Amino acid sequence: MAVADFLITLVTFIAIYSLFGIGLNLKFGFTGLIDFGHVAYFMVGAYVTVVLTLPADAPTYGGIGGFDLPGLFAALGPLGSLFGWVLGVLGGMIAAALVSLAVGVPTLRLREDYLAITALGIATILNTVVKDEDWLFNGPYGISGVHKPLVDVFPISLGSFTVNMAVFGLLSVAIFGYVAYWLVNRFRDAGRTGRILMVASVGLVSVWYFVMPVVDGGGTVELTKNVLWLFDPTAGPNGGLDYDRFVLLLSLGFLAGGYHWVERTINSPYGRVLRAIREDEDVPQALGKETFQYKMQALMFGSALAGAAGALWAVNIGFVSPDQFASTITFFAFTAVIIGGTANNKGVILGTAVFWAIRNGTRFIDVPSQYSIQLAAARLILIGVILMVILYYRPEGLLGEQDYDIDLPTSLRGGSDDV
Amino acid sequence: MVDAGLLDATVQGLITGSIIAGGALGLSLIYNIAEVPNFAHGDMITIGAYLALVFNNPGEIPFLPAFGSAPLVAAAVVGVVLAGVLGATYELTIFRKFRKRDADIITMVIVSLGLALVLRNVVLFLVGSKNIRYQSASVSNTNFDFLVTGGGMTVTTTQRQAGEVVTTGQWGYPWWLLVGGLLVAAAVGYGVYRAYRREEGFDTVYLVPPKILGFTVAAATVIGLGAFVQLAPQGTDPIVATRIGLSIKHLTIIGVVLAAMFVLNVALKTTKLGRAMRATADNMDLAEVRGVDADRVQLLVWVIASMLAALAGVLTGWFATNLTPNMGFTLLLPIFAAVILGGISSPYGAVAGAMIIGVSMDVSVYLLPSHFATYRVAVAFLILIAVLMVKPEGLWGDV
Repeated sequence: MAVADFLITLVTFIAIYSLFGIGLNLKFGFTGLIDFGHVAYFMVGAYVTVVLTLPADAPTYGGIGGFDLPGLFAALGPLGSLFGWVLGVLGGMIAAALVSLAVGVPTLRLREDYLAITALGIATILNTVVKDEDWLFNGPYGISGVHKPLVDVFPISLGSFTVNMAVFGLLSVAIFGYVAYWLVNRFRDAGRTGRILMVASVGLVSVWYFVMPVVDGGGTVELTKNVLWLFDPTAGPNGGLDYDRFVLLLSLGFLAGGYHWVERTINSPYGRVLRAIREDEDVPQALGKETFQYKMQALMFGSALAGAAGALWAVNIGFVSPDQFASTITFFAFTAVIIGGTANNKGVILGTAVFWAIRNGTRFIDVPSQYSIQLAAARLILIGVILMVILYYRPEGLLGEQDYDIDLPTSLRGGSDDV
Repeated sequence: MVDAGLLDATVQGLITGSIIAGGALGLSLIYNIAEVPNFAHGDMITIGAYLALVFNNPGEIPFLPAFGSAPLVAAAVVGVVLAGVLGATYELTIFRKFRKRDADIITMVIVSLGLALVLRNVVLFLVGSKNIRYQSASVSNTNFDFLVTGGGMTVTTTQRQAGEVVTTGQWGYPWWLLVGGLLVAAAVGYGVYRAYRREEGFDTVYLVPPKILGFTVAAATVIGLGAFVQLAPQGTDPIVATRIGLSIKHLTIIGVVLAAMFVLNVALKTTKLGRAMRATADNMDLAEVRGVDADRVQLLVWVIASMLAALAGVLTGWFATNLTPNMGFTLLLPIFAAVILGGISSPYGAVAGAMIIGVSMDVSVYLLPSHFATYRVAVAFLILIAVLMVKPEGLWGDV
């Protein structure tokens, strides 16, 4: 597998799990709710979206629905069916928010540690329900043949091979250029250790990505593939932008939307109340805020984002089954949030990237196949150790809590809650 | 042929409850005294089970030579002791450091989650994911058929020996004995309760609370009378009949857990360290002011809790007949439910909570259609949530 293909899979993963993590960050980082059942909303979002977009007579599916929203709007062309899918995603997000409403009413009044445990329990129960009730969502067999939006349109070809290569190649190079520009800016702002770390990590990654394929004997073909990563020469007669790359762009788009939405929320006066609840619930209560409603809304909002991530996950994998939504996914998201920086949305993306790079990047280590269990276990041991080490030496995470737009009374510029 | 009924489901529930109680005892100690909602407890149970496996059945572990097999009891003892050493390691290398930094309860939850991840995957790394059994003598079930007839009650015991169902005993109790026995038991229980109860005072500490003691003595009287006064069968034409399946294994599990609870209770109430532990649970700063070495107490808590977890692990592995790296984590939710239900402050509360959870799990599986059998844990949780909605501090809570 080409390195570029691996990277596309990895970044798609990171984008989806970052969206999931941002939802968790809103609950855990900004409002202080330890929702150990976050994965349940991921599951609800994925299943509801899939069922809403599944054709009515899907083979090997015996659950409720097959509501075929994209088919309903198919007369309007590909954009119509895309609209149907977006409606499905909205349905999934609303369903996730409603489920979290039902969960939140009894549990949000509990002590924080009891909340963690009951949320974990409810997520496990919901997973069991989906797994055991065949009539609901096809039970343990899962749903295959997930509707993939616009799949018929791809690969997009703009004309001849050269045109495709030039356009998509230029786009790819432009994106690399932007990343380089961003990195240089970061480098200027960073302190001494930050600079050393950046040089080391960027250097290693570039050697791995740009130099290794040449040295390995893949020659210029591999190198071209890596540099012009948006362009897939094997897709269609003239090459072009294939579907995997589209899913990557779609996920990044959703991530950008979710990020923006959460940023706007937490930088508003509303978000300030959420942060006040995290610090000390009695204070906003004394100021006349109905904290229970705020907590409930944060829970529903975060769950809706998890639901959107679930919809993307279903498109990316093309198959959903209850086993994909074990509680470990929640714990991974917590780890990612804590590594990157609790209450920091950029940190969530960084943490998720670090987490999944460790988890999936280690597949390049060659081990005999009978030791694959050992490799998987060793990865998770490493992640557990990193989690504890970060919590001890840098409890605020790699990036620390983010700055907010709203001035605090004591400072002239935007400040952190830590002041 | 007599069918197993509600009574059998209850007895099975008590056995399930005992296994949960084994874990709940240790978890309630950690929760209450160390103030860590320990999500690693399930995996500490797994570790304990595998530590005993190392001595009981080393041939199953890939990197170990088959150096012979110790009897399960000896292996369990060594495993439990080693688990205690591990417990000290967790406290010294992880939790003490976080406590020195005044980590809040959320941080502790997540630290214990990280530890859980490490422990489970260490087992997976070393042993792999295959199912393994302990080497132990197989134990056959004895079925007790209780037939209520016109003349009283007849008990028939049957056992499966070499594929054949063999009747191993038959006896009965006439009505006068049944009624009289129950009355005697109630009287003895109440008498003990009255004799043992003292004036409630500021410093009254019972080794065993009088109500529990009275109830236990009454139950023991019933069982004792039933075992020793066995009269002629009272006919075999039942009005109501039910069957209970029991084996030495089940009785051992219940006995070991009750013994562990009792020993822990005695240690907490009579020894100096136990008193120090209770004082620390109540208020760590005040205890330190009075000269309690909090670090030593916390160390002890982790050692004892790890040993109890290992004990629960061995019992689980023996009861379920196989060990998997996930065995502890699947027990974690019922254990947490039991601890919270019982209120996190006393070993009796934890065991009572565990019994409620265990019985309700098995009885609901019996009462509901067979399709719902996979919802055992869900039932435990629904009970927990229902109780928390009414009493947010748990049934015997302290908050």
